[in-house]
Amino acid sequence: MNRLLTNRAEFVIISLVMKMELEKLDRAEAFRYMGHKGGEIPENITALADECEERLLKNAAPKFVWRVFDIEKTAEGVLVKGTPLVLKGRSIASHLRVCEKCVLMAATLGTSADAVIRGYESGEMEKAVIADCLASAAIEQVCDLAEAEIQTALSGMHFTWRFSPGYGDLPLDIQSDFLNVLNAQKRIGLTATENLILVPRKSVTAILGVSENKLPKGRRGCAACNLKETCAFRKSGKHCGG
Amino acid sequence: MDFKTLLNKEFISLDGGMGTMLQARGLKPGETPEALNLEKPQILIDIHKEYIAAGADIVYANTFGANRYKLEHCGYTVDRVIRAGILNAKKAVAESENPEALVALDIGPIGQLLEPTGTLTFEEAYDIYKEQVEAGGEADVIVFETMTDLYELKAAVLAAKENSNLPIICTMTFEENMRTFTGCALSSMALTLEGLGVDAVGVNCSLGPAELYPVAEELCKWTNLPVVLKPNAGLPDPVTNEYNVSPKQFAELMEKIVPLGVKIFGGCCGTNPEFIKELNLMLKTQKFNKINHEIPAACCSASKTVVIDRPRIIGERINPTGKKRFKEALLAGDIDYIIGQAIEQVHGGQSPAGGADILDVNVGLPGIDEGEMMIRAVKAVQGVVDVPLQVDSTIPEVLEKALRVYNGKPIVNSVNGEEKSLQTVLPLVKKYGACVVGLTLDENGIPKTAEGRFQIAERILERAMALGIPKENVFIDCLTLTVSAEQDAAMVTLEAVRRVKTELGLKTVLGVSNISFGLPERVIVTHNFLTMALQSGLDLPIINPNVADMTGSVRAFNVLAGYDKNSLEYVAAYGAKKDAPVSANAANAPKQDIDLNYAIENGMKAEGAKITEELLKTTDPMEIINGLLIPALDKTGSEFESGKIFLPQLILSAGVAQSCFEVIKNHFAKTGAKSVSKGKIILATVKGDIHDIGKNIVKVLLENYGYDVIDLGKDVPYEAVLNTAVEQNVHLIGLSALMTTTLASMEKTIALLHENNVDCKIMVGGAVLTPEYAEKIGADYYAKDAKESCDIAKRVFEEFYPHG
Repeated sequence: MNRLLTNRAEFVIISLVMKMELEKLDRAEAFRYMGHKGGEIPENITALADECEERLLKNAAPKFVWRVFDIEKTAEGVLVKGTPLVLKGRSIASHLRVCEKCVLMAATLGTSADAVIRGYESGEMEKAVIADCLASAAIEQVCDLAEAEIQTALSGMHFTWRFSPGYGDLPLDIQSDFLNVLNAQKRIGLTATENLILVPRKSVTAILGVSENKLPKGRRGCAACNLKETCAFRKSGKHCGG
Repeated sequence: MDFKTLLNKEFISLDGGMGTMLQARGLKPGETPEALNLEKPQILIDIHKEYIAAGADIVYANTFGANRYKLEHCGYTVDRVIRAGILNAKKAVAESENPEALVALDIGPIGQLLEPTGTLTFEEAYDIYKEQVEAGGEADVIVFETMTDLYELKAAVLAAKENSNLPIICTMTFEENMRTFTGCALSSMALTLEGLGVDAVGVNCSLGPAELYPVAEELCKWTNLPVVLKPNAGLPDPVTNEYNVSPKQFAELMEKIVPLGVKIFGGCCGTNPEFIKELNLMLKTQKFNKINHEIPAACCSASKTVVIDRPRIIGERINPTGKKRFKEALLAGDIDYIIGQAIEQVHGGQSPAGGADILDVNVGLPGIDEGEMMIRAVKAVQGVVDVPLQVDSTIPEVLEKALRVYNGKPIVNSVNGEEKSLQTVLPLVKKYGACVVGLTLDENGIPKTAEGRFQIAERILERAMALGIPKENVFIDCLTLTVSAEQDAAMVTLEAVRRVKTELGLKTVLGVSNISFGLPERVIVTHNFLTMALQSGLDLPIINPNVADMTGSVRAFNVLAGYDKNSLEYVAAYGAKKDAPVSANAANAPKQDIDLNYAIENGMKAEGAKITEELLKTTDPMEIINGLLIPALDKTGSEFESGKIFLPQLILSAGVAQSCFEVIKNHFAKTGAKSVSKGKIILATVKGDIHDIGKNIVKVLLENYGYDVIDLGKDVPYEAVLNTAVEQNVHLIGLSALMTTTLASMEKTIALLHENNVDCKIMVGGAVLTPEYAEKIGADYYAKDAKESCDIAKRVFEEFYPHG
């Protein structure tokens, strides 16, 4: 049963559905976040990852919300029509340059995923680190699933990759307005702190460009990323594949 | 008309959605609806009037998000917006056909999550709500709605109770799994809020009346307060994009809910005056179904309710009495040690024990600020375990501090028959809606007879009930004395337990460990006394759940007495394989060949601790540290650097070393020797930042190298770093920040340290930092990972501060 709640192209997936979808976490991705550079994962670490994954799957309550808006490009930035949001900066302008619409989406694993990690942190740091990275992989998986739902709901349209506040020169300080526009606290329990950190911790906000026309193939490169100076992947001559 | 009088009506009707109405009048998503109170008051007056015309007895003023955090960007003060909102509603009432209608000060969530998930403190939340409550003094009733965090709601209710005399209605928002986003259960909401003395409880938003039926049903079981239901207009339809329940259907679905005993009805998102009109037409045909529910004796956390309908274990380990290591941890402010004690009692530690249903928290120790420590301990423990807490202190002020910040319905340990105790403790129990343990002693000491103790129990109960504390919230401790000193005393205690249980009908508590004091093989005596006490009617044994025999006795009793149906819990505890992954690994290894090196390299915590214990019999502790532990850590450290092992392995090894150090620390505590510290280091995740994990990894490694780490936690104010450095004469400070937005806090912290000429070195780390940036903001060192921070520490103390 895949029950959708919609309010003018605004969807919330009931947590149960997503949980069923998220029956396995992306281990390879999580180990990469932990700095694993290839080779076999030792047995005792795999066993710990099993335990952490089970706890996370049992406790995480993934939810997401999204909504599609018309956009208008002005000198000030990209206006998200019908909202107070203005997306400023060159990178988002370029990201959306051939799009007429955009999707604002927000996803979270919920407070209980944070609690799992916090519980490990006081005495079992190795599990905390593993759970933290598994949860990071999980929220990306949730976003992928959300994106798939969005593409199905808006079939026939073409999409850019997910661009988040803070990427490139898109200011992070739109975070609060972004969440308000989606009514994210009420719908999925997602908030931002005064320092613009999303809480629950394992959450994502992102913008997808939408167009009726086929989009030029553009990959999300390191240049757009706000971690490009410090990224561990880049330092070792690789990239995260995003 | 006031709310109490209004309750005499058969049913009370609330209004319907406000957001929906405002959006229909041009409000854009993301705009601040409350600004309209001042900018377009007539719109609100009209909406309120429509609702009153539709039959609403209470209208909610447009003040839902009017808090200082949400209004920050709109240029109006909380006071102005709320006063205007209430004035608009009052005007509407005066101009309407029902001038008796009441106006509610409507207050929603702040919009920031509270600690430990978010950064907002309980105390800040209280302050924010206090400002709203004070601004809304002209209202007739205060409504807190759409709440998902019981902790935030508790701050709100206390702010209302302490700064206003208005009645309080609370509604929370539940999902189909019968919990809120933060995991709050209906039972916990009802028990906690009724305890705090609110006037009505209920549910609003998220779902329609059909989906909320089971939610309302469950809530009604847990309270005798008037119950409120304010559902959405069903679920939004995926095709038409409209809510799928019509006004007529809404009324029909609500009619089905009437027999559950709900008293107060309204609508939330998607409902409009038409819904309220249909709702009232339906209510006119119905009779209120008053049901008196017997609320069981129970305590709860926000997510877990423990009903005392059978023996439940109270874990006694969070208590410094007679524990040197615990005292040291308290003096050092080592909250992680306390958290470790909590987790072990609930989930089991190295051994598969655990099983505490409730945890006692006592942090009383001369030389520390017990009140502050109690607040820290309660907040920390409730952040990591979901069992309810029993707050334990001899000082009423400390109890009150604990009661304030506890999230749920706790137990107070304790009151006794002395007049002073009754007068100071019971009012706190009443105010915060807690359960209380009454000790059967008074000015004359502990009565020698069961009758004497029974009489004190009776007196405590009378006094509690006179204050309005429900009988089921009073538990009696008939006191265990040492059988080797007074042999008759054991049977006196048991007889008193039996009489309190059967004649007064109260739940009973007993700390049992005392019984065997002074005897050999204490556990045999304690264990048997426990069984006898359970048979005499003991409900809440206070024991060490880590002793498998004790927990086992209670579990076995629950099977034998028929409480544990089909022995499900017993089998769950003992029938399944309990091998932890790490020890499973160890089981495969040839036992005799394991040395400390092997244990550390392979992440075998329990074995590491055991080997250390053995070594301590023959080896000097410092030699173990410098000759074995440090070289082993150096080895894993360099393997990590060369990429031979990766982060989880490094931390796992560090964890083993930590368990070895814990054994050595215990040894030092026992022998009274001072552990040798290589130097003190402050660690802090800077103000505004809540990414704690990197700092915690650094902490584990530094501790392993023998440094005393003062962990200030996350979101640490600049001054706290400065003050601690000065007060404790610390020469190395590690700061962590993970967000570009919080790097400024790092810079400010460093500037403050420099301005005050603190004699220290500063190392910094975090994902968004670069060596260049570290230098630019005035840090002495940039640590690229946890391993490097240990190298830096070594250098700093060798080169600059050889005396630590």
